Amino acid sequence: MENFKIIDSRGSACPGPITDLARAYRNSKVGDLLEIWATDKGVRADTQAWAAKTGNEILEVKEDQEKIVIKIKINKR
Amino acid sequence: MKKVLIIGGGGGGLILANHLDTNEYDVTVVDKSDLHFYQPWFLYIAFKGSKRKISRPIGSLLKPGVHFVQDEISAINLDERKVYGTRKGIYTYDYLAIATGTTPDPDAIPGLRQIYDEYGDYHTNVWNSEKLWSHISKFKGGTIAIGQSSATCKCPPSLLEGAFLLEERLRSIGLKEKTKIVFFTPFARAYSAEPMNKVVEPFVKERGIEVMPFFDVDTIDVEHKTIASLEGDSLNYDLPIIVPPCKGTKIKIIPETVQDEDRFIKADKKYMKINGYEDAFAIGDCNTLPTSKTGVTAHLEAMAVSEIIQGRYAEFDGRINCPFDTAYGKATFVIADYNNPVVPYPPTKTKHMMKMSMARIYWMTLMGTADPIFEQFFNHTKPEKLNKKFAATE
Repeated sequence: MENFKIIDSRGSACPGPITDLARAYRNSKVGDLLEIWATDKGVRADTQAWAAKTGNEILEVKEDQEKIVIKIKINKR
Repeated sequence: MKKVLIIGGGGGGLILANHLDTNEYDVTVVDKSDLHFYQPWFLYIAFKGSKRKISRPIGSLLKPGVHFVQDEISAINLDERKVYGTRKGIYTYDYLAIATGTTPDPDAIPGLRQIYDEYGDYHTNVWNSEKLWSHISKFKGGTIAIGQSSATCKCPPSLLEGAFLLEERLRSIGLKEKTKIVFFTPFARAYSAEPMNKVVEPFVKERGIEVMPFFDVDTIDVEHKTIASLEGDSLNYDLPIIVPPCKGTKIKIIPETVQDEDRFIKADKKYMKINGYEDAFAIGDCNTLPTSKTGVTAHLEAMAVSEIIQGRYAEFDGRINCPFDTAYGKATFVIADYNNPVVPYPPTKTKHMMKMSMARIYWMTLMGTADPIFEQFFNHTKPEKLNKKFAATE
């Protein structure tokens, strides 16, 4: 069964949201959907670089006043 | 008198205990060990062969009136307010603070157990650091693979500090030319937070340290001396220096829904209250707070919890202040909080001196006798203030 998981990294500046994303990736499987919430501006570029490296897909990037939300589909694990 | 039970005699547990009024509260600290270690020094044992004594009996670090019990806790029932010790029976409480730190898990990655047992590391304990030092002192050249095996790790700067101190050591004994240092990291760059990476990346480059980013260790083939990453890369080594994954507490907690998949305890990020409980807190490395797992956060979280238990308002703002030894006698601090990004704070000799003197002042910080110094320091180094000065000049 595919899972949907919200990774709430709001407030995390160091080591930053990628810590939580990498941890969720380790515990994920193909087909899973991850949604990362962050306030650290670096999350956009880092998640894009991460997705390119790992062969996973960014479905959506949204930003409101409170947070940046990035939806990721795990295609490779 | 209300009973406060603190599980764990690390920095968070001791600072909390020493800031509670023992005329008003019956305070007990429980730990399976009777010794407390100054963990930041593991680095200097592993890479400099330091023989400094870094442990003291927990009982000697508590103020009069606080009880210490050496016992191993097997289970905690948050609904019944009961804590089960393997040696001394059942404990009850009015307030509970769990401050159990992280647990190294070298069995989580195939092949890592063998490396861990043979080579040690610079992160888990004195004996592992001594083991690693013995391998570094015997090293004659080749490829050294150094880094953290998974994303969750104590003390984010320490990983790169290890690579810097290793390079300094090899250069000083004339082995630099015969060695390739490869620093692998699950993050996008040598230092995870971009503003600090800008500060330290030039050192990484000029010292010839090769960086493998997005390298989260998947398996280790000990026979062929190869490390493979989840991201699909591989790396050969002659000497492996691998920090094992950090996991949460081994204690069984009821209800188990308060722990995440790696056994870290879910707590709110300002008040450290365990999700759903007003009388139970998780302090320091054992919790899921979106901040670094480091001594200073345990310290500041403990200070806030001591106020909250004593009925005064306090909150933790996510402040980090991690000393970062960039080798060759200089250091910096990684400073940020929940609302402010990491400061691109330049390394200096003064900051290195401050990091070194912390090894002495540390024992005072546990007792609370250094509080006025720290209050001044934290006020003068607020991240929003420093960012105006240092981030603006970029």
